[in-house]
Amino acid sequence: MISRLHIAYEDLFRKKTRTVLTLIGIILSSWVLVSLLGFNKGFELALNRDIDNMGYQVMVMAKGCPYEAATMMLQGGRGLRYIEQSMVENISKEPEVEAITPILMQAFFDPNKGESGGIAGYYGVQAKSYPGMKPFLKFKSGGWFHEDDAPQVVMGFEAAELEQREVGDMILVPEKNVELKVVGILERTGSQDDGTIFVPLKTLQKIAGTDKITTIGIKIKKGADMAALEEKLYKLPNMQVVSFTQVKQTIMKLISTARVMVLSIAFIAIIIAMVGVANTILMSVIERKQEIGILKMMGALPGDIFRLVWTETLILCAGGSAIGIVLALLFARVTDLVVRQILPYVPNGGLVSIDVVLALETFGVIVAVGLLSGLFPAWKAGRVRPLQTVKSE
Amino acid sequence: MKKYFKVITIFLFFFGLPEAFAAIGCDLNDPVRDVARLFPGSSGYKMRYASITELGGEPLLKKIKERLGGNSKVLFAPIDVPYTIYEVYNGSTKLGYIHGVNQKGQYGGTQVFIIQNLNGTIRNFYIQKISGPAAAKFRSPAFGIQFIGMSVKDFGGMDASTCKGKGRITKVVNPAPEAEADFMGIMRGLKKNLILMDEFVFSAGAKK
Repeated sequence: MISRLHIAYEDLFRKKTRTVLTLIGIILSSWVLVSLLGFNKGFELALNRDIDNMGYQVMVMAKGCPYEAATMMLQGGRGLRYIEQSMVENISKEPEVEAITPILMQAFFDPNKGESGGIAGYYGVQAKSYPGMKPFLKFKSGGWFHEDDAPQVVMGFEAAELEQREVGDMILVPEKNVELKVVGILERTGSQDDGTIFVPLKTLQKIAGTDKITTIGIKIKKGADMAALEEKLYKLPNMQVVSFTQVKQTIMKLISTARVMVLSIAFIAIIIAMVGVANTILMSVIERKQEIGILKMMGALPGDIFRLVWTETLILCAGGSAIGIVLALLFARVTDLVVRQILPYVPNGGLVSIDVVLALETFGVIVAVGLLSGLFPAWKAGRVRPLQTVKSE
Repeated sequence: MKKYFKVITIFLFFFGLPEAFAAIGCDLNDPVRDVARLFPGSSGYKMRYASITELGGEPLLKKIKERLGGNSKVLFAPIDVPYTIYEVYNGSTKLGYIHGVNQKGQYGGTQVFIIQNLNGTIRNFYIQKISGPAAAKFRSPAFGIQFIGMSVKDFGGMDASTCKGKGRITKVVNPAPEAEADFMGIMRGLKKNLILMDEFVFSAGAKK
């Protein structure tokens, strides 16, 4: 026995070109929608991961234009604003603080990098406090340095690969010609740590000729009032406070503006696709008026005709949506690369996260909206008057 | 808006800074300027990527290691490293290739670039990055000029461990005897570079 699904399928593909074009519209709108929703989810997950990988939730640094500081550091390691290390002790007394770590970022000019020289950056960290901030870091070989004045370094995975270093090898700090021994190489983390060269704090201070630091990382106790701590930190003279919650909110706020615009475009694409569906089915109904009339004369009820036409809509939307989702999954990496080219900052890791729930939700939305758009043609088909249509033949 | 800018900049500073030394592989720092300088008479270039994984996988890796003398330390790179090959043109006429490799030096990675004619002979030589007190001596034109006209055949007999061999390479003078490790690193890098280019470009069947 021929099923309703089979008849609907056969009817749809009588006009192959028209059906395929409609299907392409649905595929594209489904692809765009699921990719956007996946980006929405993936971006936030990746941003959270980046922030968690920092190991601390609040950063304190000297007040001053950060843009200028970043630029100057990248251009030659000079002009950075420093803070007294005694500040670490003062802040650590606050009840909200679980752990605290001083950091010194320093850059030196290397004349033998490229045609006109380049910058080599180093990250001075305290042996006793910094590893505790990042317990998730694993070593490919070796381990952390134990003394703050040891002439040693720990290298991120990519830094070690670029410098072709193994545990036991030496590196030379340019400009200062100080030799440091590699004692540990980290496993790949997919974060900024991969490209970092960690140096014991006092060693880097000695090399740079300073007893100060550039940054303080603060880990807050669970359940502690972060806002209260931030308020206290804001009162410190000439200090700037950066909370990663604030950073996250700001980035998400900026992204959300773009997101609303793009989602609106996706919404319009869905509407256009669904108008296409309604048009295709309606045309099909008009072309088959006589057939529908004969079916009715043979005893088919309006409900039967309605269901038959609605099934055609269902096939179009379900098929198009499924193909669109599969394409979005297959090309998620390409979407990722495109987004990375467009946005000035993107977190590490995958940006488009499409899981089963999201795929099913998108499928459901497309099919539901599609079925809605198929209501009118199906109703129209159900109302065809058999005698009138046969006479018109 | 100013506040947003400030917060984002700080974020970019702390998250983006390590990017300054995070790149793996061996690309020219400023390809437009570098290609024009290293290949006088060229008008442009095309980049293509080659990796041992894509071009032959484990059998090719084994072959390259054998050609390097079985010393895995010379290769010192994962099988899937994408090697950048710059195909240099004058108009639509291909003039040659530029290709670089990372090689272990005494105090850090050394980036050894060779500029080759279409027949595979070296027409120019460039060390983009090298660490250590003797770096300037190795980057001087007087050192690089010794390799001009050499090809993979000249390095075929060179032992990658001792960097000793026969023929033209015996005449290569180390400008900094105190930095023997760097000198040997450069020689190994050159051999590796020539062998990789031979496998990727010049060998029969390789994509030219």
